[in-house]
Amino acid sequence: MPYTLTLHNNVQEASLLAPFIETIATENGLDHSLTMELNLAVEEAVVNVMEYAYPQGETGEVTIEVSVADGLLDINIIDSGAPFDPTQKSDPDTSLPVEERSIGGLGIFLVRQVMDTVSYRRDDGKNILTFTKNIKM
Amino acid sequence: MTTTIKEQNGEIVAFFEGSLDTAAAQKTEKDIQPLLTADKNIVLNCEKLEYISSSGLRIILQILKAAKPRGLHVSATGMNKDILKVFTLTGFNNLLELK
Repeated sequence: MPYTLTLHNNVQEASLLAPFIETIATENGLDHSLTMELNLAVEEAVVNVMEYAYPQGETGEVTIEVSVADGLLDINIIDSGAPFDPTQKSDPDTSLPVEERSIGGLGIFLVRQVMDTVSYRRDDGKNILTFTKNIKM
Repeated sequence: MTTTIKEQNGEIVAFFEGSLDTAAAQKTEKDIQPLLTADKNIVLNCEKLEYISSSGLRIILQILKAAKPRGLHVSATGMNKDILKVFTLTGFNNLLELK
């Protein structure tokens, strides 16, 4: 059974992500760096949904499923908002100086940087973003 | 997440303690307001910073964008290796001096 957490599209509820990830890390013996990367990827993907998936003022949900099996972390981020494929977003230019840097655009980029695979599908009116990471030592 | 701002040796030092994540961003953005109008070089003390996400980087960028036109130097000290990784992945390691 995967670990599951469902939150509303309210960024204050993002504070529930860290204890959720901490439980998974403790029960599966994930090291500190891996836990940080899992936390980062989940936070970035979930906050993206909270901020953009639903029309402003409309309540929606985002569900996080994490499974750990056979040396693989498998994460699904599921929402029922507008169709959106974050894997199609182009990478930000990380070589730009301060003046030319824009404030956003780093979230999904960070997910791609710390995970091994990131994929998207639209299924039954839902956006499903899946990412995986090999955790075999 | 707590942010404490002090003047030390002619510089303004911001001590970050905890997780600079999305949930903490709104409060931290208020806490760092004095840095945006500072007239002294800025040091971001990250010795007790445990975690940062893009919401935190956004705040660092705000500080940098405010400091640059005023000719102020911004540095960060004491970052742990996981936070350093986030800075390196996003090129933020080139935007300020890391000590």
